[in-house]
Parts: sequence; structure tokens; C-alpha cells
Amino acid sequence: MSSNEELQNTNTEERFDFKKEEKSAFQTEKGLTEETVRVISEDKGEPEWMLKRRLRALHQFQAMPMPTDWPGQPDLSEVNIAEIVPYIRPDVDVRAGVDDWTELPDEIKDTFDKLGIPEAEKNALSGVGAQYESEVVYQNMQERWEEKGVIFCNMDEAVQEHEEIVKEHFMTKCVPPSDNKFAALHGAVWSGGSFVYVPEDVTVEMPVQAYFRMNSEGMGQFEHTLIVAEDGAEVHYIEGCSAPKYSAFNLHSGGVEVFVGEDAHVQYSTVQNWSKNTYNLNTKRALCEAGGRMEWISGSMGSKATMLYPSTVLKGPRASDNHITIAFAGEGQNIDTGAKVYHNAPETKSTIESKSVSKDGGRTNYRGLVHIADGAENSSTSVECDALMFDNESTSDTMPYMEINESKVDVAHEATVGKIGDEDVFYLQSRGLDDDDAKQMIVSGFIEPITEELPIEYAVELNRLVELEMEGSLG
Amino acid sequence: MSGTQLPANLSAEMVQEISERRDEPEWLLDARLEALEALDDLDLPDVIKTPGRRWTNLEALDFGSLVDPLNQADETERTSDEGVKVLTFAEAIEEHPDLIEESFGSTIDPTENYLTALSAALFTTGTVVYVPEGVDAEDVTVRAEMSSRSLFSHTLVIAEKSSSVTILESIESGEGAAQSASGSASGQSPQDTVDAESRYFSNLVEIDAGENAYVQYGSLQNLVADTYSYALKRADVGTYGTVNWIEGNLGSRLTRSDVESDLNGDSAETKIVGAFFGHGDQHFDVNARVRHHGENTTADLVTRGVLDDEARSVYEGVQDVGNDAWNTSSYQRENTLMLSDDSEADASPKLIIHNHDTEASHSATVGQVDQEDLFYMISRSIGPTRARNMLVEGFFVPVLEEIAVDEFREDLQELIAARLE
Repeated sequence: MSSNEELQNTNTEERFDFKKEEKSAFQTEKGLTEETVRVISEDKGEPEWMLKRRLRALHQFQAMPMPTDWPGQPDLSEVNIAEIVPYIRPDVDVRAGVDDWTELPDEIKDTFDKLGIPEAEKNALSGVGAQYESEVVYQNMQERWEEKGVIFCNMDEAVQEHEEIVKEHFMTKCVPPSDNKFAALHGAVWSGGSFVYVPEDVTVEMPVQAYFRMNSEGMGQFEHTLIVAEDGAEVHYIEGCSAPKYSAFNLHSGGVEVFVGEDAHVQYSTVQNWSKNTYNLNTKRALCEAGGRMEWISGSMGSKATMLYPSTVLKGPRASDNHITIAFAGEGQNIDTGAKVYHNAPETKSTIESKSVSKDGGRTNYRGLVHIADGAENSSTSVECDALMFDNESTSDTMPYMEINESKVDVAHEATVGKIGDEDVFYLQSRGLDDDDAKQMIVSGFIEPITEELPIEYAVELNRLVELEMEGSLG
Repeated sequence: MSGTQLPANLSAEMVQEISERRDEPEWLLDARLEALEALDDLDLPDVIKTPGRRWTNLEALDFGSLVDPLNQADETERTSDEGVKVLTFAEAIEEHPDLIEESFGSTIDPTENYLTALSAALFTTGTVVYVPEGVDAEDVTVRAEMSSRSLFSHTLVIAEKSSSVTILESIESGEGAAQSASGSASGQSPQDTVDAESRYFSNLVEIDAGENAYVQYGSLQNLVADTYSYALKRADVGTYGTVNWIEGNLGSRLTRSDVESDLNGDSAETKIVGAFFGHGDQHFDVNARVRHHGENTTADLVTRGVLDDEARSVYEGVQDVGNDAWNTSSYQRENTLMLSDDSEADASPKLIIHNHDTEASHSATVGQVDQEDLFYMISRSIGPTRARNMLVEGFFVPVLEEIAVDEFREDLQELIAARLE
């Protein structure tokens, strides 16, 4: 049986909605103080500069107000940092992760089994950095890449092992903690995540994958991903999230920094399915040098509220950016997502394609910013947003912002909103499909531009998640 | 963001004096005083903010020095058509006291923001267009010349059941408002340069379109370059009613213009057509908003703008579809043409959709004159400058075509042509 079939035969409900008993070796006190931050840093045995960065971020976090004045933004009043245990470590023997899948504790393996990780492994996918709670417990890297000098490891490990690279890039030029309140929070309490380094002119053919998972009530997840692609390098990084449902709220505030060197190419793909009580407030940004190309592919399925706007700064001439996002908001969900692109050099190019589906009172909002700086001659950008609405309780907003300070440009924005077409449903029904299947198929077709960009396992999973969401309302 | 203070030179006595001079009824004086009192707690109209950029900085305007309430003066010519009443505000209060009392502030709440309140408290000019049931009127014109440091105007259009009217409003600077070189380029932002020459013009327009009524309201603003101008125009559109707006902005140093239609009745329709042409260091903050409340309503928002020199434009278009607005159709297009490398254009077309039985779309583009078009025309032996000018004039055609009043279309065309020379 191919892994694909195996995935399809797995019970989807079971795969995504189970919960492990939590066992933790260490939990910090609730609430966030300088003491907490020092404990985190000390426990990790971090160098002094990292502790200083954490403390600086903490002060910035404390000084910044909660964002409340964005038009139509999700309500964040329930986000109470004091109630969140910012740091938690799974109760495993190894601190720095293991190199072999078989060495993982059974319980954790079981969790990943249900999420399909072994299939990915069986397919000899490049390497899997899997995060169970806040620490990467599993790392694997194929030897031939090590020979080429590619580094893929736990972020905590990278601070120790690759200190110079991390010190230069970690929350400095790309996402400084002062960027926003949650970036500052992240800077203070970050833990785990992945570090990817691709040396000059090296191409990583297989996607690099990391699977994140939250499994402890009241826990925040603050993983940090740092990708450095040197000039001419090429890499595809995949991050997937799926979390079981809980009664208390969770906060996820990750940070992603991508450095795209000259003529380098980085693709970053995410399928996010946090549980329906999670506040997903991330900061993701890429800096793109001359001729570099950045691609963001994101599917936002889960969470109670998401505020996520992957950004690209096109720093060098001919740099380009491509955003593909899909948001799916069901009952009680508010998915506020979009893209930000800064054209700061001539002949830069960006395209943004956004699709959203809202149903059962769900709310989606595309919020995007395209800024073309003075002097960014012959730059072009095109933004396309399509929204599909299922019922009258749902809401779909589109709020693009365009700031054009250069005349020799080509800027186009287009958006449409519509309901699911009765004629389309009728046509499919006349071909023998029932109402539910017809609608499901229309939605699958609607999001296809996204799924076709993903490796098959992720595409299958995304379709499964959509299927699951659809069943809820249409069954 | 309440950076606004009651200008020191304003007082209740002053408002009373304005009202007394005009021999106004008690209710209007009360409304004025209420607006004045509310000023302290009101904010300026919302302005778009993005990280590191404030699209228009109204806070920096010093209303205390711009506003001179007791010395307002204007020269306004009004022409009417058979069956329709075109009156000054003062005349209208005398002739139709109840109607005016009922309509004033019914579409625009005077205490909506700081600038509307200031306007309601201090207005001394304005027009009332009253179209009784079943009357078809064409070519109503209101040509106003501003001839004082500050001028506040309040216009009411009341179109009763099954009536129709086309209205042209034009605003220019007359003598008394100092003429200065139009569009003088300066490195400073407009707000920094409020000085003795600066003017302030405030224009509120309320349209109440009854069942099956049709109103086209065209407006052409061509004030001298040191004028700061604020316009809020809003229509309440009833069942089967249609209100079409045309908003042309060419003059002033800084203009904030909000044109809005509330489609309250079933099958109501609106078009909001905007045109602007900025040069020098002009700043246009133009906004078009439609709110769909009734069923089967239709809206079409079309804005075209050209920017030259260091001019800057800010555009926000909002299509807000309410929960009960079944079977809505809503479209929006905005196109900006940049003629100069120093110009800047910000745009934000927004969709807010609460009803799924909606067909809505919007698009926005920013670019320069199409090089291929230009090449084609030059190859037909048209000089480069003339070719460009023809293309710019052509760019405005979709807007010009919407204008029902010939006089207005010609005026706008002439102003565009004059600016291109």
C-alpha cells in the first residue's frame, strides 16, 4: 500500500482529534516575569547574548500596548499572558533530540503516527524535525546533505553549535522584537523550532519538514524558525501544525525569519490546524537579496483567531515574491490573514493569491499591504483575493492596502466575493453526486491552486482537513 | 488620537451670533450649540495607518488659525428648473420650516466627528434642493465662490417619491480668498505650512432620496492651492431609489472627501464616480463608501485619478454588505495614473461582506501612461507631449461618460485640459 492510500485509509477524525496524557519534566510558573525568562535561558544553558536579547524583548513586550485599533481585527481580550505557561518540555530522556526515529518514546511516536509523519519518513523525505510540545525531539538529516554543509537542526541546538550564524541573524535585521507586541513576547520566551542553513549554490532537492504540535493545556508555543539560504542556494521548508482540541485557550506565537541570498530560492509552506481555542499570532518575514525568490504558501484551517501576515522585503534588484494563502473559517473562528510585501529595489516583482472560505458564522479577513518605495522602478505587483461564503452567518472581509511611491510600476489588485454557485452544485448533482459531495468538490477545486503547490502528503492532509470541516456543517 | 482641541477663538456666543444674524429658529441654534459642545470629545475622521505610514495627517492642521467664523463670505449663483425649489438655507427655513427641521442632520449626524461638528456649529451658507413628488428636474446648478478665510456650507437635497433631479455643484475661490500660485511645489508636507494665506472650506451634503427617486449630484472642487478642504456627502437611498454621485477634485492643497451611499431601501442603487487630478504638492484623500442594507441593491464605485509633480493621493473604497442585504451586487474600480516620479498613491479598496448572497468585486491599479499606447501614437506622428495628454484625457473618459449635465462635463474636461498644458 502506498503511503498515500494509507493516509486516505486512516480515520481522519482520529488522526486529528486525539490527546495524549501530558507528562512534563519541567513547567515554569504561570505568568511572565524577568525571572521566568532567566529560568528559560539558564535551563537551556544559553550564552549571555541570548539572555540579553530575551530580556530586551521582554521589556519591549511590557512597554507595548495590545493591538486593538485595527479595523475589524479579532478580539484578543481573552489572551491573558499571565495565564500561559510559556515553557514546557516533554518528558523524554534526551534533551537535544534523537537522530533515529526508533529511539523516540512510544507515546510520542504514536502521536506522530496519527499525523502521518512515518509516511513522510518512509518516503525518504529529506529530514523531519518534529516538535512535540516545545522541544524538538526528533531530528534526521540525510548524510549527503551534511557533506554539502547543509544544517538542519533544533533551534536551541543551533544557538550552541552554530552560534556565529545565529547571533548575526536571530531577531536582528529581519524580525526585531520591536516589530509588534507578540514578536516581542516571542523574543522573550521562544523555545525550540528549527534552524536551516544552506550554503552557497547548494540545492536541497527534497523538502525539509518540521511538524509542530501542541499538547499541553494552557501552554504557549513559541518556536523560532531561522532559515538562512546563502547566495544561489535553494530550499523548500515545510511546517505543519495540527493540535487536538482543549477547553482552555492556547496561545501560539511563533517567529519565522528567512534570509534569501542573491539568486537564492526559498519556499516556505505551512498547513496550520491549531485547535479551535488557540490564538495563533505569528510573525513571519523574509529578507530577499538581489535576484532572490521567496515563496510563502500557507493554509490556515484551525485556531480560534489567527493574525498572520507573512512578509517579504525585496531588498535587491530583481528579487521576487510569491504568496499563496488559503483561509478556512468555520464556527467561532476568525482568520485574519494576508501578506505584506515591501518593494525596496528596482525590478522587483510580487504576486499574492489569496483564497478564503467562511461558513457557520466563521469570519475571514484578507489584510494585505504592498509598499513600493521611491526608486523601485519597473516593479510590478498583482494581488488577487477570492472569497467563498457558505451562509449568512459568516463574514468575509477584504482589506488591502497599497502604498505606491514610484511611478514606473505596474500595480493591480483584484478581489471577488461570492456564494457557492447553485448552478455548479446543480450540475454536479445532475452527474450523480449528492449535495454534500458536490459542495465539497467545489471547495476542493476552489483551493486547488494552493494544494497543487504542496507535496502530496500535505496536499492530501489539507484536503482531509477541508473534508473534515465540511462534514461538520453539511452532514 | 484626539489631537484636536476646541479652537480658542470659538465660543457659544459666537455661534449664537451666527444664528441670530441669520434669524434662525430655536432648534437650529440648539443643534449648533450641541455640535459646538461635542467638539471637545470628538475625533477627526479616521485615517488609514499602516506600519510606519499615516496616509493623511489631519491632526497637524491648526483649526484655530484656519477658522474665522464671523467673517465668512461667499458668492453663490443658483439656477433652478421648473417645479424644483432651489433655495438658500435661510430661505428654505422660512418656506419649509418643518421639512428642514426634519431633514437637517438626518443623514449626517452633526456630532459624527470633529469636522462635521465644527461645520454644523459654524455653517453660514448652503443650498436646499427640494424636489416634490413626481417632479422631473434637470440642470440645477449651484456655483459657489468662496471669498473668506474659512467657509462652512451645508446642503440638503430632498427628493420625494418618483421625482428626479440632476444637480451640479461647483466650488471655486473668489476674490477675497487670496489667489496664489496654484500648486507651488515645496518640500514640506502640506500640514506644516498652514499660514496667514491658508483657507479652510467645509462642505456637508445630505441627500434624502425617497421611493423611486433619482438624484445625480455632481460636484467640482477647484479651490486655490492654499485651501484645506473637507467634504462629507452622504445619501440615504430609499426603495427603488437611485443616487449617483460624481466627485471631481482638482483644487486645494489638501482635500479630504468622503462620499457615501446608504442603500436602505430594497432595490436601491448607487454609483459613486470620482475623478481627481493632482499636481504641485496637492494631497487628495478621497473615499467612496457604500453600505448595502436593503435587498436586491446594486452599487458601482468608479474612481480615476491622475497625479503629477509631487502630488499624493489616498483612496479608500468600502463596500459594506449588511446581514439582511440579500441578493447584493457591488462593484468597485480604482485606477491611478502617475505622471511624475515624485508622486505617491495609496489605495485601499475594502470589502466587508456579511451576507453570502452577494456578488462583489473590486479592483485597483496604479501605473503610468502605457508605453505601447504612447509608442503607437508617436508612430502616428503625434508629438510625445500631445500623445501623453491625449492618453490622460482618454483615461478620464469612463468618468466623463457618467456625467449627465453637459455643462459639468465640459467644465471638467476644460479643467483637465488646462492642467495638462
